[in-house]
Amino acid sequence: MTTSSNPAYPAGTIITGKWRKSRFVIRRVLGQGANGIVYLVQKAGYRGLYALKMGYDTLDLQSEINVLTSLQSQRKSQDLLKENVKSPFLLEVDDFKDRNKDIPFYVMRYIEGSALHLFIRKRGSEWIGLTGLRLLEKLRGLHQMGFVFGDLKPENVLVSEYGRVELIDYGGVSTIGRSVKQFTEWYDRGYWNAGSRTGDEAYDLFAFAILMIQLLDEQALKEAAKQQLPQTRNTAELLSLIQRKTSLKPYSSWLRKAVLGEFANSQQALMMWKEQIYAPAIVGKLPGKTPRWLKSAFAFSIVILCFAVCLAFFL
Amino acid sequence: MKQILLITDGCSNVGASPILAAAHALQEGITVNVAGVVDYGTIGELGGLEIAEIAKAGGGISRIVGTRQLAQTMQMMTRKTVVQTIQQAVNKELKEILGHDSLEELPPSQRSKVVTVVDELTETTPLQVALLIDASASMKPKLAAVEDAIRDLMLSLQARMGTSELAVFHYPSRGSSEDAVLDLNWTSDLSSLRSLFQRIQMKGATPTGPAILKVIDFFRYGTLDGHQSWRQNAEEGEGMLGDYVV
Ligand SMILES: Nc1ncnc2c1ncn2[C@@H]1O[C@H](COP(=O)(O)OP(=O)(O)OP(=O)(O)O)[C@@H](O)[C@H]1O
Repeated sequence: MTTSSNPAYPAGTIITGKWRKSRFVIRRVLGQGANGIVYLVQKAGYRGLYALKMGYDTLDLQSEINVLTSLQSQRKSQDLLKENVKSPFLLEVDDFKDRNKDIPFYVMRYIEGSALHLFIRKRGSEWIGLTGLRLLEKLRGLHQMGFVFGDLKPENVLVSEYGRVELIDYGGVSTIGRSVKQFTEWYDRGYWNAGSRTGDEAYDLFAFAILMIQLLDEQALKEAAKQQLPQTRNTAELLSLIQRKTSLKPYSSWLRKAVLGEFANSQQALMMWKEQIYAPAIVGKLPGKTPRWLKSAFAFSIVILCFAVCLAFFL
Repeated sequence: MKQILLITDGCSNVGASPILAAAHALQEGITVNVAGVVDYGTIGELGGLEIAEIAKAGGGISRIVGTRQLAQTMQMMTRKTVVQTIQQAVNKELKEILGHDSLEELPPSQRSKVVTVVDELTETTPLQVALLIDASASMKPKLAAVEDAIRDLMLSLQARMGTSELAVFHYPSRGSSEDAVLDLNWTSDLSSLRSLFQRIQMKGATPTGPAILKVIDFFRYGTLDGHQSWRQNAEEGEGMLGDYVV
């Protein structure tokens, strides 16, 4: 097994598959995590860009590939019904023969975008409602196919221009009813003594709620997390936060339900999120008052109207 | 599947060699993992070396971490060792069935089937983890973190489909009669883990080797000082692969 300190391959390196003989040219590193390195690559002789993940451990990477394959085959049968076949996420699975050993890799769709928290930092918190909605749709899709995402955190959610949302890193995905394979402290229901680490829809919804609280008021979440000792840590602090903080107000009833694990499923959670973000309370508060040009246009049309009325009166 | 997870912060200094003891454990089918806990400074060259050697002899993994990462590290080690043990059994079968030595040599399509089996067994194989806590004086400020980490491990084990049990020991004992003290017998109940170490009195000596031997006895006989209640634990993981891969 290799370690994460392995140097990345430089740009220009050609990765040839041992089994299928496809060739990919490395452009640059996209990111690196606990399970592997992800490169931006170009398929030799083609223009399209892909993301190629090399794993540190054959078994771990294959486990991730199995999830992707299973998702793909289910998605395909669903999409065929809707006659809407999207470009597949998983493209190729192979090994790269390096000088001294074989390195397993898979090639996936390249997602251009930034991690959720960076996107919100850049574009403003008024994007939270919409990106949250799209993320919930992704989660619901997974749940309906019988999986939980598990390791939901902002780094694993990529948002492209105009708020399109994609999940990455399927290494933490597990079958509903099985133990959650990978998780991260804050977002983990077990960390808050708020329930088991068995994968169910509510597990992802809990993590989603923490993620939203983090996006809306990171400081408050930090304080809640460090306030208590691990054995006494509980959701009371989170609930009081949700009640108290004005920044969380618009979402408070949704967040409360998710933290308490009260949603029957993610479909219901999705519906309520929708209602919440389209409720007048939030839409009315959408930033940007009526633009000046619209106001003057309105005033202008009133003048015209008066003029027309007067004209009609005299004629 | 049986594991010992040793949590210590230094070198053993009394009694039998802990490396030999770990080798005995492996011989009995018990994997030994070691977590070295240090918050300030280092564990010392000698201590670090011993920790690595114990894990090697015991067929397990060793890590040196601060109390902050202890919970996460213990889970990682436990899980990795389960996977590793299953993979070894599966590799043996691969050789018999397909003539391949390892997963890496299989073409990706067959690899996928084998990994499905390994994942399945990782989730469902019954598991017993004996936690052996070094309670020598220097460990005192770390015990609260150790207790939290044990709770967290239990929470993760509870989520598995296979039965998972923890037992907790510390060493040395107050009197000189015992090399390891049983704090908590096999359990899968999270609430039984409350205030584990409140009554522990810390002592200076670190008889790691004798303590490991005691725990091996406990796995064998279900008690620290007798030969009663033999625990039968059928070899799991073997003979399963043939049904999946042909
Ligand atoms: N399809 C993709 N398109 C673009 N960038 C990607 C893609 N997949 C991964 N990345 C980038 O590579 C990084 C590492 O990928 P990934 O999270 O899959 O690795 P990992 O080793 O499983 O990480 P972790 O430690 O979070 O489990 C990501 O944070 C992201 O920046």
